[in-house]
Amino acid sequence: MENQTLYELLGLPRDASLEEIRHAYRQLVLRLHPDRNVKEGETELFIDIQQAYERLADPVKKAEYDDRLPADIDLETPINVRLYYSQPSLVRLAEPQVTYALLELHLHPDTGLLVSSVPLNVSLVVDCSTSMQGIRLDTVKLTAIDLIRQLQPNDIFSLVKFNDFAELLIPAGSRSEIKSTEMKIQLLQAGGGTEIFKGLEMGFNQVNRSLSRDRVNHIILITDGRTYGDEESCEGLADRASAMGIGISALGIGSQWNDNFLDRIASKTGGISKFVTDISDIRNSLLGEISRLGSNLTEQINFNYQVPHEVELRSAFRLQPDPSPLVLGSPLIFGYMPRFGAMKVLLEFVVKEIPARVTDFSLARGFMNYEIPRHKVKTHYVERLLFDRTISRDPIREDPPVEILNAVKLIALYRMQERASEAMGKGDVTGATRHMENLATHLLSKGEEEMAESVMKEVAYIRRNQSYSEDGEKRIKYGTRALLLPAKTKEKKT
Amino acid sequence: MIVCPKCGNKEMPGTLFCSECGTQFASASRDPTLTIPSSLADQIHDRVAEETGQDVPPTPEDANLSLFLVDTGDVIPLEGLTEYTLGRSAEDQPILPDIDLAPYNGYEFGVSRLHASIKITAPNALLTDFGSANGTELNGQKISPNQPYPITHGDIFTLGKMKIQLLVNRSGS
Repeated sequence: MENQTLYELLGLPRDASLEEIRHAYRQLVLRLHPDRNVKEGETELFIDIQQAYERLADPVKKAEYDDRLPADIDLETPINVRLYYSQPSLVRLAEPQVTYALLELHLHPDTGLLVSSVPLNVSLVVDCSTSMQGIRLDTVKLTAIDLIRQLQPNDIFSLVKFNDFAELLIPAGSRSEIKSTEMKIQLLQAGGGTEIFKGLEMGFNQVNRSLSRDRVNHIILITDGRTYGDEESCEGLADRASAMGIGISALGIGSQWNDNFLDRIASKTGGISKFVTDISDIRNSLLGEISRLGSNLTEQINFNYQVPHEVELRSAFRLQPDPSPLVLGSPLIFGYMPRFGAMKVLLEFVVKEIPARVTDFSLARGFMNYEIPRHKVKTHYVERLLFDRTISRDPIREDPPVEILNAVKLIALYRMQERASEAMGKGDVTGATRHMENLATHLLSKGEEEMAESVMKEVAYIRRNQSYSEDGEKRIKYGTRALLLPAKTKEKKT
Repeated sequence: MIVCPKCGNKEMPGTLFCSECGTQFASASRDPTLTIPSSLADQIHDRVAEETGQDVPPTPEDANLSLFLVDTGDVIPLEGLTEYTLGRSAEDQPILPDIDLAPYNGYEFGVSRLHASIKITAPNALLTDFGSANGTELNGQKISPNQPYPITHGDIFTLGKMKIQLLVNRSGS
């Protein structure tokens, strides 16, 4: 990481204001903060960031540094940004209002040619608690063996098993004989509890050992259980991983794992979380996840932003490539840009009031930064992103753009499922079934008959038993989430 | 403040879909299902009431079940499926109902695009409303959405304000 500029280190544009420099520094410190035993390498990064900040925050030192800085390579940005708003302008109202922005990121067609394929630095972290015993663990074992056989010579792979403890089965970068590696995997036994943090931390250390900007640095967690008491440590680790450019994806098997928790971990690092119902899905999901990682164009795209005090970013939802609600905060982690296809993120703003006598108003301002590993000319990119709106006095009669309408419509389905789940959590069975019936109705009118039927069956089950069926809650959640996938909509149209 | 016309939930201006029931709000909706104001609805109702005295036409011989549209006198045979969706086709609609009521002035009668379904079972057929905008009545009683109700020969159900009678050809069975 020697040839990185201080701006790149902090993920800042070169014309960053002092306020932006402070914000970026504070966020990095918060996410990286070594509140527990610090590993080698992390401290160095921490010190580097501190030094970078000290120089850039001091106007004299900054001017000196800027003078010596070679000119930035002036290259067309590889990702084109398109912005849609639900209204052509904001309307001056005496009450709070909602407004939506849809961000579409498209790859500049030439960029793909400038990038060679990116080697992996992946740690597979496998839950070996008692509940994994039998076909679940057997399937994971077979898939892991397949996966190792498919790795390229320059990929780095490690495997961690965990229950109440973590154990390093295959250390990163080891070139031991394939036969003995496979033997080790075959001998994996299930037993004990589920302490995700221990496994995650060991996987993190393995990836961190070979951390490189020229690789996809990623942890894949496979679990079927709930972790107890260490959720906070896991989230802290996810923040740290994210700030260092390590992603975490999670595959949840069966009905017992904590989906909201794994969603947060994945979302914080730009990774994805997946629900695996069927044992046969384990294989596809895991191999799919590995090939997805290899085909991403960028490392995680971060959006550092600030909103005026009249504005609140109420929600952010990534519709593409992997539909998921995003954990709010600045930076907002958009996730990985695929080499093919677009990325779409819907932002929902609440404007509490519009200041008097202004004609322009900014919902949010900031910059997006991302890296393209192995790009032949330039790897680090920062692009300003401004959500500036004009203000009108008259109400808007126009329909929102169809892109926004479709996006919000699909997310509305997802929210209904969420509300049902919230109501159930509070013991409000009537409310939950009402939300689910509404969901079923909208699914039907969308032509999603199978999904609608499944939701109605769940309603009947809840009425009888006053609780969700075995994996009903997750099936509906990930089912409605899957509706957001573009492949799914295309499939339905034909 | 926006008040959802369907469920009365309150939302902030600028909201596009009701967070409670998912209804798409006014300016954003194209081709909405027509909500019939009560005065007009009553007129149609009265007119229909007069006409129900008319004779029930014979059903086509080859069909076991058919639908008699009371207002227009048309008969639609139900053949080939065990479950039929009822609604009206509209532009841009990817999924068409099995029984399309658009040609029978479905829009004016307040029929939703996917309004209800009829499932053929023994001994009764089952009628299910899909949570349509104007609802479904069975023999004058409003039925709850998403719940199947048994119907038999001669029963009259109303989609929005469109009266339909179920005919069962007993000689065929």
